[in-house]
Formats: sequence, structure tokens, C-alpha cells
Amino acid sequence: MMDRLKTRWIIFGGLFIVVTVSYLLRIKFESTASPEVQKSFTYLEELPEGSVIMVSFDHEASSLPEIRPLALAMLRHAFKNDLKIVGVSLFAEGTAIGYRLLTETAGESGKTYGADYVFLGFKPQQISAILGMGESIMHVFPEDYLGTPTDEIPMMRGIKNYEEIEMIVSIADGALTVHWIEYVGGQYDQPIMAALTAAMITTYDPYLASGQLYSVVGGLKGAAEYENLLGRQGGGNRGMTAQTTAHLYVITLIIIGNIMYFRARKAGRE
Amino acid sequence: MQQRLPVLICFVAGILMFLQYFSRHPVARTVFVSINDYWQIIFAFTLLVGVAAFGKSNLRQIGRGIDTPYRFIALSGLVIMPVLAIIGGIKIDSPFQWAFEYMLAPMQATVFSLLAFFVASASYRGFRARNLQAAVLLGAALIVLIGRVPISEMISDSFPKVTFWIQNYPSMSARRGILIGIGLGSMTTALRVILGIERTYLRGE
Amino acid sequence: MDAGVIIAGILTLAIYTFLYRDNPIYKAAESLLIGLSIGYALVIYWQTTLVDRLFTPLFSRGELNLMVPLILGLLMFSRFTRRFSWLSRIPIALMIGAGAGVAIPAMLYARTLKQISASVAPLIGKGGGFNFEALVVAVGLLSTLAYFYFSREHKGVVGTAAKVGTYFLMVFFGATFGYTVMSRMSTFIGRIDFLLTDFLRLLA
Repeated sequence: MMDRLKTRWIIFGGLFIVVTVSYLLRIKFESTASPEVQKSFTYLEELPEGSVIMVSFDHEASSLPEIRPLALAMLRHAFKNDLKIVGVSLFAEGTAIGYRLLTETAGESGKTYGADYVFLGFKPQQISAILGMGESIMHVFPEDYLGTPTDEIPMMRGIKNYEEIEMIVSIADGALTVHWIEYVGGQYDQPIMAALTAAMITTYDPYLASGQLYSVVGGLKGAAEYENLLGRQGGGNRGMTAQTTAHLYVITLIIIGNIMYFRARKAGRE
Repeated sequence: MQQRLPVLICFVAGILMFLQYFSRHPVARTVFVSINDYWQIIFAFTLLVGVAAFGKSNLRQIGRGIDTPYRFIALSGLVIMPVLAIIGGIKIDSPFQWAFEYMLAPMQATVFSLLAFFVASASYRGFRARNLQAAVLLGAALIVLIGRVPISEMISDSFPKVTFWIQNYPSMSARRGILIGIGLGSMTTALRVILGIERTYLRGE
Repeated sequence: MDAGVIIAGILTLAIYTFLYRDNPIYKAAESLLIGLSIGYALVIYWQTTLVDRLFTPLFSRGELNLMVPLILGLLMFSRFTRRFSWLSRIPIALMIGAGAGVAIPAMLYARTLKQISASVAPLIGKGGGFNFEALVVAVGLLSTLAYFYFSREHKGVVGTAAKVGTYFLMVFFGATFGYTVMSRMSTFIGRIDFLLTDFLRLLA
């Protein structure tokens, strides 16, 4: 038992040291944009000025370290290209995060609330909320996050439902983007783009292959690639050295574990 | 009455919400919007029930003297957020937003980051090529682990391409199989629920 | 230094003490987290749903049809009484029914038919070239479905197909594991970034 605990502490300590040291070193790695990241970037880049996109913060605070660089890169890009953003959230915790990220990036770009972006806040029961917006966004969100009547917000006057939205960007750490794809994509024929935590990438591969999902920017690596395309470094690139060494550390553990397993098997102990 | 009424309501709501998909008629849209509104509002009440149950359970445990300090801290947390929202609202510079950003979010993210350590430990203990299938699993994992960090491009330009090929074809096709299976299963379950054959949601008091 | 950063740093380290073993500091932080999360959700639900979707339209604008969800919502609280707890089944039935109703077309169209049609691709292209990837997808999909087909014993052709399916599934699980490691490490790196940059100020 004590041996098991000691091994555990060694593994934990090793990971802590590897990530901390490599984070401090910050060796610069070049990341070529993957086709999906390039596709997402090109789409937002080529959208005409003034086009409206809906950004949905469909994640919890637990994934914030991974989501934040992704969201910041995409929001900065959208504001840089003078796109108008309607922010919503389908997760209660994503609400305060979405509000902060939108306020922060809008402030950097000198954008005005109500004219260039709005944050409508949260509505529970995701399927119900997104289906409702297909009929009327103002009906589902009669007030914005801070309680201003939505019909008094200048930017919202011309936006009735998804027909006025060019693209929905779902920033998610779970299966909520699936609801956007299956309910909004299916019933309202609305294009969807996703910014996902790495753990969710393979879940969405079939939707990507079938064209139901336009594109995906995934994980810290995706954020780093997007930052490079945008020409503005951020959390994605900052974390790439540590990400690389952490992966190498896990690979080393797998190899050591297998060597020990095969040695034990050879010795007839298993 | 205790069984039939809920089954009837479930049937009516289910049929109406199913049929609305096929009609853009104003009446169909009005029915859809109304049920949709009710659904959302009732769902919000379920959280209130959860909060009440949480408070009740903690107070009962404090009364019995079980984990009193921790129960007290949990209840304090529960009270702090609404109090802050009442005092200062929920604006960007409000105490409520502050408590979220400097207390809740860091703790939540840190708890989640503990998984990095357990994943590392599991990689050492359980990720072994015991047979051919396990070896295939191990191989796919290793390729992704190397292929999705910048170092793969330094090894070979084709490394990331191999990673994407595995992800886009063999891995995707298996996931698609699972997805279609879930789709068919969800559809039949939904139908059974609407028709009142599946009534597990009526259990429990 | 900002008081918020100090508090966030202390709470972060309190959670990390769990890596040594379960202890009172971790338990206290965990209890605080649970309480704050529920309190936060309560505020958000109250402010963004119950106030603007129910109380304001019902009591300020007189939209009386909203009495229906109000009463149904209040029925949820009958769960706290033995005698009337069955009443909570009524709002639950409405939510379950509505969910089931919208799920059928979505599951049929978006999850099943779209995915099947995306799998049907010509194996020989216009120029006469063989589409190897289309073959991989077709074999992978059919063999995975065979693996999950339990109405017939996995023998003969079905057995062989199911066996092939397990290898495709292993590739999927392996790739997913790789990405999961990536994700968990990213989260940890994010916390290290906070500790080194904001809390300890070791980096600019």
C-alpha cells in the first residue's frame, strides 16, 4: 500500500516539475495551422463587416484554462473584423465567463455594448432554449444579462431569429454543441462552428465529416494555431512547451509501465 | 389518477412537440412556443427544488453533528452568492462577479486539473499492451499524443497527417457507428416514453 | 498584489493538497466550492429565467397564461411531502414528453439519416481512382454496428465483422484517450500559468 502511494507521489511530483519547469522555459515551437483551424479562421476572416455571429458559451468553469485561450482568440478575431456578436450561454457557469470574455475583448477593440455586441445571458434547458431562439430570440431573451429589455438594444432590433445570424460559434467542453447541430442545424438549417476542449474532439468527428458541423478549433493546440493565424500570441502558444513535455512525460510513463509489465510476465509472475 | 394523468400529459406534450417539426402554420408555432416556454420555466424550478433539498440535507446533518464545519462552510457558500448579487447586482465589477472569478472559477478549474495527475498515474498503471486489441488502442493513443503537439512537425511533416488520417477515417467510422446506435436507441426510447410504455420517470417519490 | 489573486491562489493550493491525500484543508475548500456553485446557479437561474421569463411578464405585464408553468413549477415542491409527492410527476411528465417529442425527428434526421448518407460514398472516383478512405469508413461503420448488434450471436460472418469492429473501436478509444490526456494537461497548464504568472509573479 505504501509502495503504491509512493509511486503515486513520484508520478504526481514528476508531472508537477515537468510542467512547471517547461512552462518557465517557454521554448518557442512553431505550430502549423491544421486544416480545421484554417477553415474556421478563413470563414470569420471572409465574413463581410457588420455580419452577425452568435457565440454560445456552452461550458463550465472547470474547463476555463483550456477554453479561455480558444475563446479569446476567436472573439478577438471577430471584433478585429468588425463582426457583431450576440453572446449567449447554455450553461449557468458559462454565463459569468462569457460576460467577462466578451467585455474584455470588446474593451481591447474599442467596441460598444449594444451597438457591436450584446450578451443575452443564460437560459436553462438547452434544447428548449435553442429551439425557442429559432422562432424568436427576443422571446427567449426578453432582457439581456443585465436586465435591459432586448428590444431597446439597438443591435438587436434587426435580429429576429437565426435567419439574421451568419454562424453560430459554440464554445463547449461537452455535448452541448451536439444540440446546436442536431436541433438548430437540423430544424433551422443553421451553420455551426465549434471551439472545443481537446477531450471532445473525437466526439464531433462524424458531424464534421458529414458537413453538419462546419469546422472545429480544438484544444490548447487549436488555440495556439489560431493565435498564430491571427498574429497575436496568447495562452495557447504560452502553454505549448508545457503541453509538449507533459505529453512526452505521459508517453514515458506508458513505456515504463509496459516494460515493467512485460518483464514481470516474462519472469512468470503474471 | 396518480399514474394516468402524468402519462396523458407526457403523451400530449410529446405528440404536439413531435408534430410541430412538420408544420410552419402559426397555430403550430404558437403551441410549440408555449410548451417550450413552460418546459424552460418548469426546468428552472427543478433547480430551486435542488437548492431546497441541499439546504435541508445540510441542516439535518448539522443537527446530527455530522461534518458540521464542512456543512456550515457549504451553506455559507450557498448564502454568500445570492447575498452578493442582492447587494451589488451581477455587473462586471460587482462583488458577485468577483466571487465567481476569484473563488468559484479557480477552485472549479483546479479540481478539474487534478485529473491530469490521475490520467498520468493511470497511464503508468493500466495502459498496457496485454493483447492485440490493447496494443491497437495504445498505438492510436501514442500517435495522437505525439501528433497533436508541435514536436511532431519536427519529427516529420507527415506525422500530423497520419494523426488526422487515423482521426478522420478509422476512428471517425467507429464513433459514427456508436452515434447511429445511440440515435436509433434514443428514438425508440422517446417513442416508448410518449406512448406510455416506458414509465421509469414516474418512479420515486 | 490584488486581494482576489491572493485568495484564488490560496484556494488553488488548498485544492492541490488533495494530491498528497484527503485532508481537512481540501475538504473545507471542496465544501466551499459546492456551496458557491449552487449559490451561483441559484442567482443565475433566478435572475435570467424566473424573473425575466416568468415573474416580470406574469406580474408586470399580466400574461396570465404563465400561471400554468408557475403552478406546474410549484408542484415540483410537492416532492417534500409524502402525501402529495405524486403531483411532482405532472411537471416532470410535461418536460419528459416535450423532450421526447422534439428528440424523435432530431435523432432520426440529424443523428441517423445524415450520418448514414455521409457514409455512402463512391468507392471509384470520376477519374477511375480507388477511394480507399471511403472503404475504410464503410468497413469501420458496418463492423462497429455489427459489434453492437446483439440480436444474433456473434458467430460466422457477424462474428468476424464484430471482431473487426472491436479494432476500429480500439482506434477510436485510443484517439479519444490521447485527446483526453491533452485536455487534462491543458487544464493543469492553465492553473500553473495562474500560479506562476499571477500568484507568484515569476513570469511577466
